[in-house]
Amino acid sequence: MKPVGRFGALSLNVYFWAFVAFLFAPLIVLVIFSMNNSMTPTLPLSGFTTKWFDQAFSNSELTGAVVRSAGIALTTSVFATALGVMASIGLMALRGRALALAVATLLLPLVVPYISLAVGLLILLQTLGAGPSLGAVVLGHAVITLPFAILVVLPRLRSLDPAMNEAALDLGASSLAAFRLITLPLIVPALVSSGIICFVTSFDEFAIASFLAPAGQPTYPIFLYASVRTPALLPDVIAIGAIVIVASLLLVVAAEGGRRWAERRLVGAGAALEIPVEEAAISVIAPG
Amino acid sequence: MSKGEVSLVSLTKRFGEFVAVDAIDVQIPPGGFFSLLGPSGCGKTTTLRMIGGFEQPTSGQVLLDGRDMTGTPPSKRPVNTVFQSYALFPHLRVFDNVAFGLRRQRVPRAEVRQRVGEILELVQLGSLASRKPGQLSGGQQQRVALARALVVQPEVLLLDEPLGALDAKLRRELQLELKQLQNDVGITFAYVTHDQEEALTMSDRIAVLNRGRVEQAASPRELYEEPANAFVADFLGVSNLMEASVIGPSGDGVEVRLAEGITLDAHHGNLATRGATKVVIRPERIQVEPAGSGGANRVPGMVTNVVYLGSGLQLTIHLGFGRDVTALVANTDEDTATRWTPGAPVTCHLPPTAMRVLGNEQATQLPAAAHSVDEPAPTSVVP
Repeated sequence: MKPVGRFGALSLNVYFWAFVAFLFAPLIVLVIFSMNNSMTPTLPLSGFTTKWFDQAFSNSELTGAVVRSAGIALTTSVFATALGVMASIGLMALRGRALALAVATLLLPLVVPYISLAVGLLILLQTLGAGPSLGAVVLGHAVITLPFAILVVLPRLRSLDPAMNEAALDLGASSLAAFRLITLPLIVPALVSSGIICFVTSFDEFAIASFLAPAGQPTYPIFLYASVRTPALLPDVIAIGAIVIVASLLLVVAAEGGRRWAERRLVGAGAALEIPVEEAAISVIAPG
Repeated sequence: MSKGEVSLVSLTKRFGEFVAVDAIDVQIPPGGFFSLLGPSGCGKTTTLRMIGGFEQPTSGQVLLDGRDMTGTPPSKRPVNTVFQSYALFPHLRVFDNVAFGLRRQRVPRAEVRQRVGEILELVQLGSLASRKPGQLSGGQQQRVALARALVVQPEVLLLDEPLGALDAKLRRELQLELKQLQNDVGITFAYVTHDQEEALTMSDRIAVLNRGRVEQAASPRELYEEPANAFVADFLGVSNLMEASVIGPSGDGVEVRLAEGITLDAHHGNLATRGATKVVIRPERIQVEPAGSGGANRVPGMVTNVVYLGSGLQLTIHLGFGRDVTALVANTDEDTATRWTPGAPVTCHLPPTAMRVLGNEQATQLPAAAHSVDEPAPTSVVP
C-alpha cells in the first residue's frame, strides 16, 4: 500500500469502521432483539429469551414461506447457473461486435427495474394463458440471476487454455466428453460461486415474486412485508430474520471454504490455478 | 508401404483477406523428423493445425498415407499433437493425463495401466505418475505432453514449438532427447519451430516457410550449404548477402563483379545466372588475413566491430568498396582474442568454393527481423 500519511491513515480507518457499522448494525440489532423478552423491539432490553424462536417455528405460515423461498432459490440457482454455463460457452465463440451485442443483451436484466420485468412477465404469462405460479417465480428469478451466472462463469471459462479442449478432441474425445471430462471439472468453483449468488438473489427478491407468486403461497419476503403490519407477528419475524442471517453467513463461509478446497484439489497441493478476481470478489460480497 | 506419410496438396488457408497458407505442396516422408521452419506469421502453425484437423483448409488437401483427411475431425485422425502450451489437464494426475486417449478408445483397464507405465518409463517420468501437472517443472510437463500423445500410437506426431517455453540449456538437452525418441519410436514427427538452430539439430528434412509459401524443402545440410534463395540463406544462420553481377564463366564457376574493379570467382550455386543477382557467403567461410596478403578472391577491408563469443570472434568488416560483411574466426589459439581489434586493416579471403550465386528470377523480400548485415535487399531484381 502507498504511504498515505497520518491523516490519510486516520480517515481511511474512520471510513472503514463507519462502513462496517453501517453495513452490519441493522443485522446485529435484529439478532439482539430476536432474544429480547418483549413484544416490541424497543430499548431498554428487557431480558433474555428464546421463546420467539419456539413461536416462530410453530408458525407454519412463516416456516412455510421460508421453505417455499428456499425451494424457489435452489431451483433458480441450478437453472440459472446451467443457463449461464451454456450462454458462456456460446459467448466464447463470439468476437468483436457480435460479442459486445450478445453480452449487452444477456446482461440487460441487470439494468431493467425488477418491477418492470415483473409486470412484463405477468402480462406475458397471461397472454400465454398461464397465471401466477411458483414456476413463474422461478422463471422470473432466472431472468434476473442469469447475468450474475454469466459474469461468474465466463471469466473462469476464459481463463482455461483453449488448447486443453483441442487436446481432448485430439485424443479421441467427442465434444461432449471433452466438456464433461475437462471443462466441467475445471469450472466447478465458478459453478459454486454462481449458485450461491443466484440463491441469495432469488431468496430475498420481492418485486417479481409479489407479482408472480400465486395467492396463498407467499414467498418469504412477501410474507415479511405483509406481517410487519401485524404487531403480534413481529417477534416471530425478527427471530426468523436472525436465523436467516446466521444461516446465510454459515452458507457463504462453508461455500467459500469448499470452493478453496476444490480449487486445491483440482490442481494439486502447492500449485494454484489462476482464479479470476471477479469471481472471488463476487463470492465474498454475495451475502449483502 | 511405411505408415505416416503426409502429403499437403496445394493446401490453402485464408482468414478473411489474409492468406495464411498459400497453396503449398509439401511431402512429409514416413518415419522421419520433419520440421516446418519460418518466422512468426509464416503459416507454419496454421499448416500444422490443418494436419491435426483443428483448422479446415480453404482449399487443397491433407493426405495421410494417400487417404484424404480433409473434413475428418481431430478425434478420428491417427495424428496426435503436442501443443505449445502442453495443454495438460491440470485436474488429472500425470497417469490419468496419459491414460486419457487410451480410455477414450475403451482400452481394457489392465492394458491401460501397462501401456501408460511403459510410456512414462520411456520419458523418464515413472516415479511422478501420481503428481498433478502443476507440481511438475516445465521440462517434466513437456514430457507428459509427449507421453500423452505417443501412448495412443499415432502415425504422425505433430509438435508445435514444444520447447518454446523452456530455458536455453534445457532446450538443447531436450532437442537431442526428442530426436533420440523419434528414432526409437519410428513415428513421423512434424515439428514446427522458428528456431533455425533447433530445426538443423533435429530434422531429417526441413521446409522453410515464408509468407504462407514454401521457400525450400530439403535436408538441413542442403538448406545451409545450398540455399535456394536469399530468404533461406538469410534465415538459416547469419549469412553475408551481397549484390553482384555475373559476368561469365571462369574456371570451375563464374566470375562475379561486386563493385567497380572488384571481381571474384564463385564456384557454387546457380551458375547459369547472368547479370544482376546476389552472392552469399557464410561468416565461418570467410578467411580473415593480415592486411596486404596476396592472391585471388581477396578483398581489402577494415575491422569495425568485434564481438567476443567465447568459442570464437564475430568480426564486422567494412570492405573497401563500401559493404560490411560478418566473419567468424574460431578461437583456436591464445592470440585469437587479441589479434583483431576495431580499426585494424585486414584482407578478406572469400574462397571461390564458399561463394554461392543465387538465381536472379526470384524477388524474395527479407523479413524485418533478419540477421542481415547487408543493406536492405531490393524488392525486385531485374534479370
